[in-house]
Amino acid sequence: MFSHLDRKLLRDLTRLKGQALAVALVMACGLAMLTMSRSLIYSLESTRREYYEAHRFADIFVALKRAPNSVASRVAELPGVAGVDAGVSAQVTLDIPGLDEPASGLVRSLPDRGEKELNRLFLRSGRWLTPRGRGEVLVGEAFALANQLGPGDAIAMLLNGRRQEFRIAGIVLSPEFVFESRPGAALPDNRTYGIFWMPYEEVARAFDLYGAFNFLSLTLAPGAREHAVITAVDQLLKLYGGRGAFGRGDHPSHIRVSDEIRVLQTLSIGFPVVFLSVAAFMINAVLSRLLALQREQIAILKAFGFANRQIVVHYLKFAFVIVAVGTVLGAMGGVPLAKRLVVMYEMFFRFPALEFRLDPSALVWAALVATFAATIGVHGAVRRAAKLPPAEAMRPEPPANYRPAFVERTGIAHWLSHTFRIAVRNIERRPMQAAFTVAGLALATGILIVPNSFRDSVKRILGFQWDVIDRDDISIGLLEPAGVKVGHLFEKLPGVVSTEVFRNTAARIQFGHKSRQLAIRGMTADGEHKRVVDKALHQLPLPEHGLLISAKLAEILGARVGDQLVLEILEGKRPVLTLPLVGLADDLTGLSAYVERRALNRLLGEGDVINGASFVLDAAARPNFLRELKGIPKVSWVAVKDSLRASFEKTTAASINLIQTMYLVFATVVAFGVVYNNARISLAERARELATLRVVGFSSREVGTVLVTELVILGLVALPLGLLLGTGFATGIIGMVNTETVRLPLVLTARNYAFATLVVSIASVISAAVVLRQLSHLNLVGALKAPE
Amino acid sequence: MTTQTDSGPATVSLHSDREQLFRVRGLTKTYGVGDAAVHALAGVDLDLYTGEFIVLLGPSGSGKTTLLNQIGGLDVPTSGELRYRDLDLANATEEDLTHYRRDSVGFVFQFYNLIPSLTARENVALITEIAHDPIPAETALEMVNLGARLDHFPAQLSGGEQQRVAIARAIAKRPEVLLCDEPTGALDIRTGIVVLEAIERVNRELSTLTVVITHNAVMAQMADRVVRFSDGRVHSIHKNSQRAPASSVNW
Ligand SMILES: Nc1ncnc2c1ncn2[C@@H]1O[C@H](COP(=O)(O)OP(=O)(O)OP(=O)(O)O)[C@@H](O)[C@H]1O
Ligand SMILES: [Mg+2]
Repeated sequence: MFSHLDRKLLRDLTRLKGQALAVALVMACGLAMLTMSRSLIYSLESTRREYYEAHRFADIFVALKRAPNSVASRVAELPGVAGVDAGVSAQVTLDIPGLDEPASGLVRSLPDRGEKELNRLFLRSGRWLTPRGRGEVLVGEAFALANQLGPGDAIAMLLNGRRQEFRIAGIVLSPEFVFESRPGAALPDNRTYGIFWMPYEEVARAFDLYGAFNFLSLTLAPGAREHAVITAVDQLLKLYGGRGAFGRGDHPSHIRVSDEIRVLQTLSIGFPVVFLSVAAFMINAVLSRLLALQREQIAILKAFGFANRQIVVHYLKFAFVIVAVGTVLGAMGGVPLAKRLVVMYEMFFRFPALEFRLDPSALVWAALVATFAATIGVHGAVRRAAKLPPAEAMRPEPPANYRPAFVERTGIAHWLSHTFRIAVRNIERRPMQAAFTVAGLALATGILIVPNSFRDSVKRILGFQWDVIDRDDISIGLLEPAGVKVGHLFEKLPGVVSTEVFRNTAARIQFGHKSRQLAIRGMTADGEHKRVVDKALHQLPLPEHGLLISAKLAEILGARVGDQLVLEILEGKRPVLTLPLVGLADDLTGLSAYVERRALNRLLGEGDVINGASFVLDAAARPNFLRELKGIPKVSWVAVKDSLRASFEKTTAASINLIQTMYLVFATVVAFGVVYNNARISLAERARELATLRVVGFSSREVGTVLVTELVILGLVALPLGLLLGTGFATGIIGMVNTETVRLPLVLTARNYAFATLVVSIASVISAAVVLRQLSHLNLVGALKAPE
Repeated sequence: MTTQTDSGPATVSLHSDREQLFRVRGLTKTYGVGDAAVHALAGVDLDLYTGEFIVLLGPSGSGKTTLLNQIGGLDVPTSGELRYRDLDLANATEEDLTHYRRDSVGFVFQFYNLIPSLTARENVALITEIAHDPIPAETALEMVNLGARLDHFPAQLSGGEQQRVAIARAIAKRPEVLLCDEPTGALDIRTGIVVLEAIERVNRELSTLTVVITHNAVMAQMADRVVRFSDGRVHSIHKNSQRAPASSVNW
């Protein structure tokens, strides 16, 4: 049963439903973002955790040259090690029928008997390998889907240079490859890179590793320290060509998911804060207006013995009904949004079942945060109501105190029309209200800047990666390092316009206590294919001595140009080198270190060798080139830029569009909401005054001009402020997407600014039109009656 | 008609059958400070008793409303003594004042001041909800002859009807004090009489101390006592030997 005060509340709300709804919608936008991102974080985190647990994802990983199987049990005996899984891991090239370009992949071994100890597979379709069976393979899902492969299909692979036919037994997932991507590649291409599993005997024999292993994973015993175990493992495997053990924090698939979670965390805070501040502003405006109208009602309630507390609660309830509606709408919007994004994530992340899981705490948070925002918003207004002495409130509000506006006092008064004067005086008389309007409009404008800036930023990254940095068409990797002379052979392939060779090597780079494991890229000093550029996009030539690293890597290591970095090479003779940091590469994806190739080879003491090459091709001769390439047995992987780009654009375009549309809708809701709310309040407050103007003979058009002039003046102040604010939002929100995987550059274009200006202007014009229509219906007698 | 003039406060002997409700001594109320200070009340002495019907007369700006506000606990005096039974209204806390208003006082204002979003019945029920021992809203509205307009919103009622709703609202809690500030000020003669009858009836039937501010001197005939105000002071007090019924008051 409602109390009668609650009934008043309901009727007040009904009368202000348009404005209440506008506030609730703005709130809902922020809360939808909150619900969506918190639920996605929850879905990703819990799904990943359960998957890792059920399939025994390892804690530490290490690749090595070759160690007899008995070494695995020695690793298992190290203190802090709980479980060990050792096997073979090898690069292969593939020959997929219907795919004209060479694809490559990674083959992992499965125990000949029994199940894998760690990193167990999940069978999506088909069946497991038959024991002792030959010529069978399990295929990772992402690659299988991209190439429309299923159980029973045939696939040809070059294992250690020997071509072999395999039949696909089943399609599988592995906790090691939630994100299936070529190591070191900035962007995934599931069409030309896949993961495969074969019986140990078959892979090991093909790679002359029978009785030995070259990849090992282990889990930590409870309480064991990762760092200590890594040191011990490295120590033990040094003899066997260990490439440096690393934990989950450096595991490529694991960090991709973690990075995504981090970005979501940013979103779950940044956007809701902005939206809810706008909502707080709006709710303040609505409630202040309501309280001004109800001065006498408040006084009556007090005169009849309602306590301040009851009055405060009454108006707080008004705000909380809006909060409740906003929360429900927000949850209703956030859940389907999250569901759609889950579908999007399924394209990137391979889990047995990534399902949407509502984070119930997200709803609690949403309600709490919205309540908090509303309380902040109404705090001042409600306190004023409570403070109102009852006798005082009974007197009508003193007549407004007008004076010549500031602009008039500057002496240009006679230039101004009457309507302009009324408008300006009104703004000056109510500076707070004008400030709120300006703030609301500026916020709406500011929010609109963000989504376009986000899109432009992603576009910049792609252009940067593919037009500025990678200028080649195709790059390939070799199974084993080869003499630089091989480069001459490459030049003779059909259609080659230019070719450059490179030498990459696995290394751990260290400065102070910080270290990262990555591929050191030994390249031609002023190569045209893979360029290293600085902030201004000028190419940085690789120095004779010293190395260039990603600016982000320098930030992680805490190193500055001129510092001496320690490079622990994880291949060959495994030298430990000290090199000066001579420059920072302003790359936007991944972490890299660049050294001049010859200098690197000198340091490695292996003679001038290469293990890959890049090509610029004559487009017409490309099919010939690819056909020839398929026949070269020593090639371990191939990356074709165009197909990479096309497949990336196909998968990412959808998600970027989705995200951008989402932000745009939200921003537009705010713009409309703020303007609508404002115009309504302005009309309601001035109905009497405007009616009086009509009564004394102004046309409804002239009266409209007064209102519009006011709105235009406020708009002119708000828009530039909004553009500034938007620049701030974009800097803050986009700047927060600064991970090892990707750094979003801040891109702000004139188009973006123009768009925001346009949307807010249109929203204002439409709202103004709505209000003007009401103006012509203005009930003169009603408006002139004693105030409610 | 007999009138009698007292120079000081009315003595208890005149009201031996009645209980004293208010004791006002040297009450002042000053608005503003320095040159701008307005002495709205400049030392008021007055005693008020249960069941009395008081008419408060005086020129505009003489401090009538100000006095009513102090008595009703809407405002606190600047100095002086103001007691309601044992309650020291001059020094009461906000909470005490709230309870005092909730339990003991009913107000009627010139401009009715109904809650426009609530119907007649709801406007009254709003108050009965928080009162101790209220009359049902419907009964209160019947007392002012509005039993038939229960579910009308203020905007659908005439001024006189709205004022009667306001009276019903004021008396529904069975207040000991009913304070009316120019209750007929916005009404025509006939409607004014209907409203006055309602007030008179409440005063009689519920034995409510009723103080009515008016500019209409003829209404003085209805009163037990007539208090004349000027310059923030009680100028004179007349006691009517006989109260005239509202219907007989001649404008
Ligand atoms: N809040 C206030 N601030 C300043 N002055 C006030 C205030 N309230 C009342 N006054 C002044 O106090 C004096 C007494 O006012 P009050 O309203 O009590 O007069 P009144 O006798 O009710 O007059 P009326 O018959 O016109 O209603 C007036 O001069 C008035 O201007
Ligand atoms: Mg008065």
